[in-house]
Amino acid sequence: MVQRGARRALTAEGFGKFLRWLSENDELAVREYQSIRMKLVRYFIHKGCSDPDDLFDKTVDVVVGKIDTCGECPSPLAYCYGVAKNIWRQDLRERKSAPPAALEEHMALPVYPDPQIHEQELKCLEHCMDQLVPGDRDIVARYHQGQGHEKIETRRRLADGLGGVNALRIRMCRIRKDLRVCVAACVDQWAN
Amino acid sequence: MKNITDLNLVRQYLLGRLDEQADLEDNVSDGILFNDEMTDIVDSIEDEIIEEYLEGSLSSVDREAVDKYFLQPPERQEKLRFAKLLKHHFETKPSRYSGTKHENFVRPPVPWLSHFRTYGQFAALVLLIFSTLIYVNGVRRSQGRLESELVQERERSSNLVKEAELLQPSMVPLTLVADRSRGAEIPIPQVKIKSSTRRIIVEIALQGGPSGPYDVRLETKEGKGPLWSARLSPLISSSGDARLLFDLPSRGIESDVYSLVVSSPTGALRHYDFQAKLAK
Repeated sequence: MVQRGARRALTAEGFGKFLRWLSENDELAVREYQSIRMKLVRYFIHKGCSDPDDLFDKTVDVVVGKIDTCGECPSPLAYCYGVAKNIWRQDLRERKSAPPAALEEHMALPVYPDPQIHEQELKCLEHCMDQLVPGDRDIVARYHQGQGHEKIETRRRLADGLGGVNALRIRMCRIRKDLRVCVAACVDQWAN
Repeated sequence: MKNITDLNLVRQYLLGRLDEQADLEDNVSDGILFNDEMTDIVDSIEDEIIEEYLEGSLSSVDREAVDKYFLQPPERQEKLRFAKLLKHHFETKPSRYSGTKHENFVRPPVPWLSHFRTYGQFAALVLLIFSTLIYVNGVRRSQGRLESELVQERERSSNLVKEAELLQPSMVPLTLVADRSRGAEIPIPQVKIKSSTRRIIVEIALQGGPSGPYDVRLETKEGKGPLWSARLSPLISSSGDARLLFDLPSRGIESDVYSLVVSSPTGALRHYDFQAKLAK
């Protein structure tokens, strides 16, 4: 496990204060919180941060500390985003001054140690491929068909049929996302 | 918010090349954050980078940027792992999906005009086209309606997937009441960590003691660590019960016995053991 050092945990009181700042209505506050969380975690992922969840927590910590003094705030997302940018810049400075060894440590890609899980994932992938609508299954199968020049040609024709290279990329991206969600759910179900 | 139309700019942004150009970096970040239509585009460029990384077709400079910047977030490492799984699947079972439809698709274009070289044949074709015009128009209208329904269905499906992602439980609770001094009186609590789990919400019931800050650290049962630490103030109810409530990151926790060591302001130490189980 990577040691992450001391970290200030958001107290229940602080979290409650943040939710109240988002909305007086509990349901709306939670929904707004989830939306801000999703967007800012994505922001930190786009910025190549190794622990996006932790940086989001730090952002909320800072915002909670400023709620009483920030006055009128037309958009909580915009305010949190402004704070998040500063948190990212600080993280970037720290990353740059970190020894190279830390980078190598992060480069180790996660691999499930248990071959049983890998085997199950492959079975789940087959199952999830079968769950796709025929059009999507056909696209993903053709997309991975062949090697070298043949593969390039096949993809070019696929793109022509779907309205261009960008349309193909976006379609493939959505299919991959569907498959990832399906495989994760399938593996979870198998584990329980 | 203006749209970002330069996809190469987004690619450079994702590889960390704009980090030193504050204005440009701000523009792209703002454009992505506040424009939901950019989500699919950014995701697809991410997928493209991962695919080129797997295929080995990235330049050495891009590959270095991917290693040292792009792949730092665990979410992207997971995307890469899944891309590998997908590649492996199609490399080992290519025939499973090969059907007759493929042949239609990859069939080279037939030089159809060569079949109609005489004026007579061409005139017959024109006649055929006119006689079926009304029928074709009808089919087109019907096809347009079906396409529109398909687009709506796809949007609905995409929204459902996003909602499903939000509903994946990312937090699991862990309540610790008895510390190690209670010995075998009480079985060791267990926490099951799934692939979707990000945080463990821990609640420790304190047995009396001062209200000042407590130092909490996570160790292996053998005392190796700390793997995580924090200074926390207890929550005290109106009846005087005190408890610590905090969240632990689940990343890096393996199937093993761990101990949360709680140090009170008076220096008293208590070990709260728990067993983590990674869900297979």
